[in-house]
Amino acid sequence: MPDPGTGEPLLRTAHQLIVENDDIANTLELPRLTTRLDVIREICHHLAPYQAGERPIIGATVIAKDLTIDSLAIMDMVMELEDRFDVSIPMNVVAEIHTVDQLADTILDLRAKR
Amino acid sequence: MAPLPSRNTQLAQRRAGFESTLEMLDYAARGETGVSFYNAKGELLSALTWREVRERAHVTARKLIGAGFAAGERLLITADTWPGFFDTFFGAQYAGLVPVPVSIPVGIGGKDAYLDQLRRQLLASGAVAAVGIDDLAGFLADAAREFPAVRLHGGSRALEALPEKAVDLRPLGAADLCYIQFSSGSTRHPHGVQITQRALMANLAGMTGPAGLDVIPGDRAASWLPLYHDMGLIGFLMAPLSCQLSIDYLTPRDFARRPMQWLNIISRNRGTISYSPSFGYDLSTRRGATQVPADLDLSSWRRAGIGGDMIRPEVLNRFADAFEPTGFDRKAFIPSYGMAEVCLAITFSPKGAGVRTDVVDRVALADRQRAIPATDPQDGKRARSFVLCGRVLPGHLLEVRDPEGKPLADRQVGRLFIKGPSVMPGYFGEPEATREVLSDDGWLDTGDLGYWLSGEVVVTGRAKDLIIINGRNVWPQDIEWAIEARRIVKNGDTAAFSVDVGEGERVVVAVLARVSGAEAREALARDVAGAVREAIAVDCDVALVPPTTGLPMTSSGKLSRARTKANYLAGLYAPPASPSKPAAA
Repeated sequence: MPDPGTGEPLLRTAHQLIVENDDIANTLELPRLTTRLDVIREICHHLAPYQAGERPIIGATVIAKDLTIDSLAIMDMVMELEDRFDVSIPMNVVAEIHTVDQLADTILDLRAKR
Repeated sequence: MAPLPSRNTQLAQRRAGFESTLEMLDYAARGETGVSFYNAKGELLSALTWREVRERAHVTARKLIGAGFAAGERLLITADTWPGFFDTFFGAQYAGLVPVPVSIPVGIGGKDAYLDQLRRQLLASGAVAAVGIDDLAGFLADAAREFPAVRLHGGSRALEALPEKAVDLRPLGAADLCYIQFSSGSTRHPHGVQITQRALMANLAGMTGPAGLDVIPGDRAASWLPLYHDMGLIGFLMAPLSCQLSIDYLTPRDFARRPMQWLNIISRNRGTISYSPSFGYDLSTRRGATQVPADLDLSSWRRAGIGGDMIRPEVLNRFADAFEPTGFDRKAFIPSYGMAEVCLAITFSPKGAGVRTDVVDRVALADRQRAIPATDPQDGKRARSFVLCGRVLPGHLLEVRDPEGKPLADRQVGRLFIKGPSVMPGYFGEPEATREVLSDDGWLDTGDLGYWLSGEVVVTGRAKDLIIINGRNVWPQDIEWAIEARRIVKNGDTAAFSVDVGEGERVVVAVLARVSGAEAREALARDVAGAVREAIAVDCDVALVPPTTGLPMTSSGKLSRARTKANYLAGLYAPPASPSKPAAA
């Protein structure tokens, strides 16, 4: 993204990129930044036991369909993620989540809005 | 904020015996008791005395009447447990409208299935308004789009925004409907039970009286049961209201998240009456028993009811074992039996007797429909225990009938039929569906099987194919349709049923496997289980049936789920290779 003032490309460090993506101002109370990777990692940690065969768990994995996880375990996972990241996912939003990516983005969006 | 009192200082307790729901509320509003709402952390979020419930409902009613809604029109409410539900439910009643409480979405990815269900409920009830919590305003708008008759929809603001006009209230009276209860029929063809004021008053009198819970002054109710379910709405709103009790609520979601909060609330507020299906006791034991707070005291809990699913004595025993040290009295358990078609309850086990079982011989039961005492009750293979559900409420009749309709004697298993003042007049706008279950002379076919034992009824299962998972009714057609709708298999290639796995039911879907190779078979099983989970939020085992074998049909060419199940239990169908779990039988 060029600087709107000079037209020069902005120089940014990786750290600043994270800041911009993750709304550091609202996450300062956490011991460290919550990055998308953190959220994905946490989700995959919960889902790993339910991997179907050799198919890897990726962002596009449809949680209720591509894995062997049952609905009670899904509910547990969502609750634990809510506790871990200190967000509350409204029921209408939960009802529209299908994939790992969507779940991660939802959590990040909610954190950003706090 | 302090919890509301358990007793009224001046107002004398009246135990049911009212003419209508609003007469109950008008009376309770003269005292200091009311409803309190707790969150998952056990914090009191809000509390409304019955007087405040009534005043707020009056405001809502004047807005509804002022907006031009006509008496008798239906108002759909997504029934979450929060003060807004009370405003709308009682507001509709004071406006002469008939409330239609419906469920809220469950689980991940369930939007499409939920919208579909909303549309079917709008159609079946002919509702002219659809309101609920703000989070669901978008879903209500989506669902209402196809229904021009729906003149108002949205979250709490949809009602708040209406101007309050100086109009006379039009309270529903003794001869009116009270509300429409959706809990019967499949999701594809939902049947709304007409809960009439008269039937409800009769059922409440039985429930709160000496043959039921025998409510006394100072009793206090606690509930996490959903208010869209008859056990939540009638059992833990109407029944306590009919006796001017205070009620402490936890939402079903928060209960699932922190089951111990249910027990904490009972302990802290000295609750005396609370109900749950067996699975709620199970969840509390499994999640809570390892972290019981030191100060938990369940000694005040004198009516621990069980209903809504097949009662599992071993689950209740475990709960009692785990919580007896905190003062829980296992004699407080009250197994009971009922259904929305009789408002809620029809039999109660005698109070103070706890869970009593009858252990019968499995083979005689399956082959000859006879409940013969097992020679060796410890032999799990031959012996099966059932819970005694008590006597039928006064003024009602119950018959156990054979397939020809002849009443049966003790220990002969047949279909349960009920007659009496609690029985519904029929399903809303569904004369044919009504005729299927209700005879001209007023006998209701419950679809359940059971037998008599010295004047008490023992329920053994269901004659219909209905599946009950965690207290939720699931129709096998809905499961089959969900799979077929995703074009995973052809129409008619699936049969869903449930098997008893000792402490609950497990759904099994038998699927014609028109694929070969381990990988393709695995993928098919996974897709089927995934489709069922997404659409119905139910987990299932998948049994693959060779196309050459086919699924069993009845003589009239209809799918026979009963024979499919028998074949499955006999080991005729192979479970797919891993990773799917082995089928449990």
